[in-house]
Amino acid sequence: MRMIALAQDEILRLLSTHRGLFSLLGFALIWAGVLNYGILPASAFFVGANESGLSELLLPRLGLSAWQAWPAPELAVYWVVSLYLLPLMALLTSADQTASDRSRGTLRYLVLRCSRLEIFFGRFLGQCVIMTLLILVTLGTVLMVIAGNSGEYLAASLGRAPVILVNLTLLVLPYIALMAWVSVMARSARQATLYAMVIWLSVSLLVSYLQARFGPLALLDWVLPGSQVSQLLRLSDWQTLDYALIPILHTVVLLLIGGSLMWRRDL
Amino acid sequence: MSEILVECQQLGKRYGSASALNGVTLELTAGDPIALVGPNGAGKTTLISLICGFIGKSDGQIKVLGESPGASALSGRLAALPQDALLDPRLSVGRQLRFLARLQGMSDKLARREVQRVLETVDLRDSMNTRPADLSHGMRKRIAIAQALLGSPELVLLDEPTAGIDPPNARMIRDLIRQQSATTTFLVSSHNLDELERLCSTVVYLEKGRLVSVGPVLDDASQAIITLRLADVAESEFMEAAASLPGIQQLSRGAQGDYLIQADDDMRASLSLMQLLNDRHWKYRLMSRGKSLEERLYGKT
Repeated sequence: MRMIALAQDEILRLLSTHRGLFSLLGFALIWAGVLNYGILPASAFFVGANESGLSELLLPRLGLSAWQAWPAPELAVYWVVSLYLLPLMALLTSADQTASDRSRGTLRYLVLRCSRLEIFFGRFLGQCVIMTLLILVTLGTVLMVIAGNSGEYLAASLGRAPVILVNLTLLVLPYIALMAWVSVMARSARQATLYAMVIWLSVSLLVSYLQARFGPLALLDWVLPGSQVSQLLRLSDWQTLDYALIPILHTVVLLLIGGSLMWRRDL
Repeated sequence: MSEILVECQQLGKRYGSASALNGVTLELTAGDPIALVGPNGAGKTTLISLICGFIGKSDGQIKVLGESPGASALSGRLAALPQDALLDPRLSVGRQLRFLARLQGMSDKLARREVQRVLETVDLRDSMNTRPADLSHGMRKRIAIAQALLGSPELVLLDEPTAGIDPPNARMIRDLIRQQSATTTFLVSSHNLDELERLCSTVVYLEKGRLVSVGPVLDDASQAIITLRLADVAESEFMEAAASLPGIQQLSRGAQGDYLIQADDDMRASLSLMQLLNDRHWKYRLMSRGKSLEERLYGKT
């Protein structure tokens, strides 16, 4: 119950602080740019490429062979763009789960009233809800564009919306979990982002080294969050959930690391 | 028998090789406010942090209201004013206090009523919709005390509640502790020993991470001593005159410059001293039975 209250507070905090509102505004502006200068021209380009036969040549080389399986080109481009953009958005919006509260001492007021794990998971849950809502908004804007451009694809696109929502939510979970972990160690959102980058680069380098040293190991291909993205680009529809276990496992591992650190760390 | 609030057995906390608290065995019971004193680095904040569960122990055992520190069962029963902890400066005071009250298990309606009550208690009812960033340091401290009073907890730990506070705000905080101590036990850490002497009945003294003593603020052993503070009287002149009074055993000067006068019968000696001061037209500023807390803890003897 207290975890739910903490998650609710995380959402309300976003909506009732200047910083939270600026984050939302920033997100909206970035998304408007992506929509206007990315998704719309790209979908128009691919439609043209399809008509000229260029797509058969070009898209498999770009790893986008499954795009034709999506009901509307806008949705296909949205899918590709989101796979790369939303993790970045998740990293930025969820950087300050506990960091500034710790440096300010506010966390001490909370710890007197609920357990450290309730705070850790409550804040994580709140960020998950925020990201899910943001994904819904982005998906909604793309569906509106489809309705305006090619209304005949709207019904089929609406049918695919749940699978996209589930997939993208699963995609961002490990990134939010990573920020939950580094937020426990950091004293500010900026420091948390820096720690996340250091961890990411270190693991990437370690994986590269291990692969160079011991040859290709299938397991190492799945170590980093988002490692399933290249596979998702080749899939569409409910097939995309074939790789759902990977982000879930990443999330569980990252939450275990972050949660155990939160449990032991002095405040 | 009073309820045991805090029970420590050989409690210790180390940071690397440095020991912040070492082998503290202590039992605090419900009742009047308890003073936690000691010089900087004595381990006062460490002890408070251990009781609150902000930090983990390195050695020994600790129970707070029968629970391990940080246990969910302590929510609403234990509260604290941690040193230098601040509320979120961006959100209104009322909203943050309501949220904390809800975490203690109160319904939204009850939380609103409780926040109103604690803000009235600290005389900051009008600050409900103000952000902490817009309040003075003293007001922020009172708000922090208000959060500690939410739900009328059994034990409240106040770490330096009047540090950096102007005299009117400090006095208000002292009055507040006095009023609330009928229902709540306060453990107050402070360097202001005069303040603690007026507020508390028990004193816990730490030094270099070790427990030196636990006992009453008014020590029977020092009752045969009179503390006298004079205004503009030559020391040699007073010493000579006072030494000739009947029943005076020993005269010395304490760390604060007060005269410490040991007598066979302190009541009779007090009367003789008053008579002496009146006869010589010497003005005094303070006369009290026993040594001050500062003199007892940091005096030469």
